[in-house]
Amino acid sequence: MRGRTLVPLMLGGFVLVGAGVVWRRSVGVLRGREQQRLESQRAALDAQRAKLEADIRDASSRGKLARIVESQLHMHVPRSDSEVILLTRPPRFKVRE
Amino acid sequence: MIRASRVSVLHGAFVLFALVLAARSAKVQLLETAQWRAKARRQQVAASSVPAPRGRILDVTGALLVESRELVTLSVAPRETAGDRRRVAAGSTRIRALGRALARLGVAHEWVSRATDTSRAWVSVPGRFLASDVATISAIRGVHAERVLERVAPPSDGLRRLVGRADGAGEPVDGLEKTLDPLLRGEMGRAAVFRDAKGVRFYSPALEGSEPKPGRTVVLTINLVLQEIAERTLSDAVRQVGASGGDIIMLDPASGEVRAMASRRADPRSTAATALTEPYEPGSTLKPFVAARLLELKRARTDEVVNTFNGRWEVNGRRIVDDHPAASFSLADVIRYSSNIGIIQFAQRFSAREQYELLRDLGFGVPSGLPYPAEESGWLPSPHRWDSQTPASLAMGYALNVTPVQLAVAYGAIANGGELLEPALVKEIRNADGSVEYLRARRVVRRVMSEETASTLRGLLRGVVEGGTGSAAQLSTFDIGGKTGTAKRTEHGRYVAGRYTASFVALFPAEHPQLVVLVKLDDPQKSIYGGKAAAPVSKTLLLAAIAARESSLDRRSLAAAPTRSVRTRATLPESATSADSLRGRSQSGSVPFVFQVGEPRTLLPTVVTAHAVPNVRGLPLRSAVYLLHRAGFRVTFDGEPVHPPLSSSSGTGMAAGTSPVAGAAAPAGSTVHLSRLR
Repeated sequence: MRGRTLVPLMLGGFVLVGAGVVWRRSVGVLRGREQQRLESQRAALDAQRAKLEADIRDASSRGKLARIVESQLHMHVPRSDSEVILLTRPPRFKVRE
Repeated sequence: MIRASRVSVLHGAFVLFALVLAARSAKVQLLETAQWRAKARRQQVAASSVPAPRGRILDVTGALLVESRELVTLSVAPRETAGDRRRVAAGSTRIRALGRALARLGVAHEWVSRATDTSRAWVSVPGRFLASDVATISAIRGVHAERVLERVAPPSDGLRRLVGRADGAGEPVDGLEKTLDPLLRGEMGRAAVFRDAKGVRFYSPALEGSEPKPGRTVVLTINLVLQEIAERTLSDAVRQVGASGGDIIMLDPASGEVRAMASRRADPRSTAATALTEPYEPGSTLKPFVAARLLELKRARTDEVVNTFNGRWEVNGRRIVDDHPAASFSLADVIRYSSNIGIIQFAQRFSAREQYELLRDLGFGVPSGLPYPAEESGWLPSPHRWDSQTPASLAMGYALNVTPVQLAVAYGAIANGGELLEPALVKEIRNADGSVEYLRARRVVRRVMSEETASTLRGLLRGVVEGGTGSAAQLSTFDIGGKTGTAKRTEHGRYVAGRYTASFVALFPAEHPQLVVLVKLDDPQKSIYGGKAAAPVSKTLLLAAIAARESSLDRRSLAAAPTRSVRTRATLPESATSADSLRGRSQSGSVPFVFQVGEPRTLLPTVVTAHAVPNVRGLPLRSAVYLLHRAGFRVTFDGEPVHPPLSSSSGTGMAAGTSPVAGAAAPAGSTVHLSRLR
């Protein structure tokens, strides 16, 4: 009876240990895939950020803005028929209460 | 007994099996560990190299110019997408979805057809895409996305010429990308990934790998705002004067740092920064250096007069002609009116060796040292190759070739008090962690003139702009110095009739210059003269630079610079005298205020000229005020000062007359009272 019990117990234990190993590896694989997915997502978001920043730079560049404000706001960058004067900002005084 | 024996045998067999299994396990796990571990690793682990992103390139203010970004390429295995023949419906659905998604992505119809043609085994879709844009496509069976690094090109044509390009594989092709490649190129990383039974790869933190090390960040001396101003101004100028191309250099003479470098050529094959690669004969822009060395050697004085033979003279059988003929010119006037005859006469006081050393000392004939792969050194013949004409030609700026950068650097010496500085395009190099690995320091190559001589030269150059050939560059509010140049162009070693290079080099402002601006236009059609074609361009450039916020100019010292007639508050609109009322305040304590004047005025501030008051009777008030301002007068209307343009409410009605009356002479800048017709 003892031998009969021992052997199934050993086999059961063996199966349990094996299942544990397989489960652990499966979880590892899933985590690895999740990590890979997140890494790809991060890279994609980084690329998107770079593109959006480049778009912002492009949209706010002098070349783009100057054309728009000239055509829509009728402003212009200084030309040879303009003069630019630098005015010194007057000193600020604190008003005593 | 028999039953017991069977059970025992069965037990024995199990025990034996277990023992064999245990023994085998012990052998595999204990005795053959290394061998099996290696075999498993070969099967399960794949190692690959991870490309490192190239370093970023920034401008001097920290604005991003170039960086690398990760994109994906798509390949499709149409047969794999269609699946096996037993599930035709599902396969067809996938193929249709793939076709629609590719079309939405903007892929050409031809390639969509190929990618959905199930008779094909493999199709590589042209183009690179953002991973987020192709996320849904990548999820379709049979679609394979591969990550690639792409170099984002600089934002403008001039910067692309300077910075250069990297090819699809990230290898530098030309420009700074090529020269600075060892710095910009990072170190590849190693990635180890697990492979499952189907060959699908996945990362695991248990595996060792090394992160790629990004390239270093390079900070250029270029100021993006000035660069954009230079490029736009050059583009406009080339179009307006009908030139075949041109170059603009803006250089900080105190540090030798190049702030802007714009180039333009009609030939679309031209992709280089021609300010560094295409030397030219500088013409009269070289004359100030002849004067400088003569002053330095005390062989001439600025007020010393030479005979200029009414503009026609023959030397060694060669006829020399001046565009501004005069019987005689002082050295100052020789520079002011760019007299060829005068400068040749003065240059005759040099020996050949002295003249050669002057030009050599200025850095002509040797590369400037900028990190550009194809930089030209120009050409300066040594005296043993000179003929009898060469000294005269050199004095006029012929018989040698210089690049625009070399000439700008030489003018930098006049601007900074006599020191020839090593020019720079790279300001700083930072490691990936942000620490500074290299910080550029000002480096003096040699002193080419004394501070006193440099100061005298700046005075002479101011004279060129205030009353000489460069008056079109004059600013009403700042003193600037400059020199014009008009040089014949050569083709296949011969001068070509009707083809000229018009150039102008400006020092802004004339005292304590903050910028050297060189404008060069090739083959201008409207006017061949540097004073007419190139000088106005430098004026436009400087006006835009002063008005721009991030232009690397010290506004405080500019605002505190000696004032000229137009720069007094009395001449400004009342609203403009309150700086707080203006937008665009800079942090340097000054604000730029741009206003329109009727047309460029030739201002000689030391001389108060009288103008005739124009007849404005019967004109609309707006036109009358504009006309009077244009004539150089300040205007009051109903006792209040007015400035064009008038607002629509105050500008209605007709002008009745003026006081002083029309036709009367009044000093420029004085006030004219305007009355309305009732």
